[in-house]
Amino acid sequence: MNRVSVSDYAIIGLTICGAYLLAPILNDEYWLSVLIVVLINILLTSSLRLIYLLDEISLGHVGFSLLGAYSSALFMLRLNMPFWGALIAGGLFSAVAASLLGYPFLKLKGIYFSILTFMTAEIFRLVTYNWTSLTGGQFGLSNVPGPAPLNLPVLGVVSFDSMHNYYFLTLTVLIVSLLIIYSLEHSHVSMKWRAIRDADKLAASVGVNVIGYKIVNFAIASFFAGIAGALFAHYQGALSVDPTSRFGPMMSLFLVVYMVVGGKDHLWGPIIGTAALDLFSEIARPLSEYRYMLVGSFAIITILSLPEGLVGIRRLLSHK
Amino acid sequence: MNILELKNIGKTFGGLSAVYDLSFSVGDHEILGLIGPNGAGKSTTLDMIDGSLRVSGGRVLFSGEDITHRPAYQRAKRGIGRVFQRDVLFQSFSVAENVMLGLHLQARLGLREAILPFSRNARRKTAALREKAFALLKQVSLETKADQLAANLPHGSQRALSIAIALGVDSMLLLLDEPLTGMTAEETGAMLDIIYALREQRGITVIVVEHNIRAVMEICDRVVVLDYGRKIAEGGPKDVIQDPIVVEAYLGADQYDV
Repeated sequence: MNRVSVSDYAIIGLTICGAYLLAPILNDEYWLSVLIVVLINILLTSSLRLIYLLDEISLGHVGFSLLGAYSSALFMLRLNMPFWGALIAGGLFSAVAASLLGYPFLKLKGIYFSILTFMTAEIFRLVTYNWTSLTGGQFGLSNVPGPAPLNLPVLGVVSFDSMHNYYFLTLTVLIVSLLIIYSLEHSHVSMKWRAIRDADKLAASVGVNVIGYKIVNFAIASFFAGIAGALFAHYQGALSVDPTSRFGPMMSLFLVVYMVVGGKDHLWGPIIGTAALDLFSEIARPLSEYRYMLVGSFAIITILSLPEGLVGIRRLLSHK
Repeated sequence: MNILELKNIGKTFGGLSAVYDLSFSVGDHEILGLIGPNGAGKSTTLDMIDGSLRVSGGRVLFSGEDITHRPAYQRAKRGIGRVFQRDVLFQSFSVAENVMLGLHLQARLGLREAILPFSRNARRKTAALREKAFALLKQVSLETKADQLAANLPHGSQRALSIAIALGVDSMLLLLDEPLTGMTAEETGAMLDIIYALREQRGITVIVVEHNIRAVMEICDRVVVLDYGRKIAEGGPKDVIQDPIVVEAYLGADQYDV
């Protein structure tokens, strides 16, 4: 297992401080709204990478994000749950769904797993689209409440109606989630995951419950996907699932691209990849449909010149 | 006392019988050789013993308990260790970590220790596990290479490491699938010493699938010969090797000089 050096801690600390300071420095509602979605996408991509520790690529990660988003919104709308309860419950709902599906799904490997997850996400989306009485169907859900004001010790009463404060909230949830993912990745559990990736029969022969560990992995990844969905639901206040929405099939593909471009073998990969491509895509927005060509070219050039992904830049620099 | 009994086990893959109505038993502390030509069903038989494959029919008894329907990881818990022909180790881990994974069952990690890597308890258990791993590495003379990447070891050492991994299970029965393939004469000798020591020092029962007949003759107490999924002979190595059916099916007339 890798040792964490002092310079790593410094980079982590500076990044966190920088991310918090970004809101007051930018002070621009439009860019803050972009950044909130970037943060949510980072959580999605980072949790997608957890599944990649098993060497499996899920093409249906947004499906579990959808479950989190809708369940969390409905928990608040119909059951009057408080925001934080609904957020966690949304994640748990997604995790439970993943563990129920985990057994048949994770018996499959490679391309079969990818196809199955892809189809499943589409089924989730179509069911949501057609279940009008529960989900509002094609009109979606509206008036999803945001978090109630919090009474914090030093800051006093904080209302989350402002873009600034929802940015801080999203960032905090993201950091906590990433810390959990980071420590999971250095734990004994993750050692089993990687052992299964290397040689699953051998892992079983030394007593590792292969399918059990895979289901746990899938459930944890889906939990964070659900949290990401819920954060989006309460931020946007409205949800819809038409094919071009963020719950459509394209988004699942984008998540994989973010992960690969950023660097799939490193915790920083999804963070850097998502931030770089999302922001690049935002800057290219005036080009309307051409922007995906640009984003795609950017991705291809990165992968060709940096096979490890954007995180490879650091190694290139330190070897100079 | 028989540690393992196979009762009329069979395996069919889509109509093709890989193993057919096979029965034999293995006594405690025995070294049993399982031989036969390519495609005779030797690896399939090992797969059915360790649970990698479910039997299509018949029963598997381990220490008197029916384990026919137990999955592989539960059989490992009962003390069946396996060394595979391919995928002998965890490529992306260090040598010591490979053995630590083998010790997974002995680690007895609580949930918190399993998911919180930086707690004091988790660190202590990791350190203890590492020490145990070192002891096992010493048995196969790999302790000086503990921190190397397992994938970078030479072939013979990889094989030795694979045995250290299987020992972590605290096996009573060890299944070795062609442990001598591709080894130099020197490596073969070292491996045979290791297998002997397993029985003498740890009282482990061994089933070994091997093509190297000279080695089988040297270390096995008893031999079972398979051909086309059926048992065609069973007995002491000297008797089996002279059995005309075995000679015809497997060894060929010119190899009779072993």
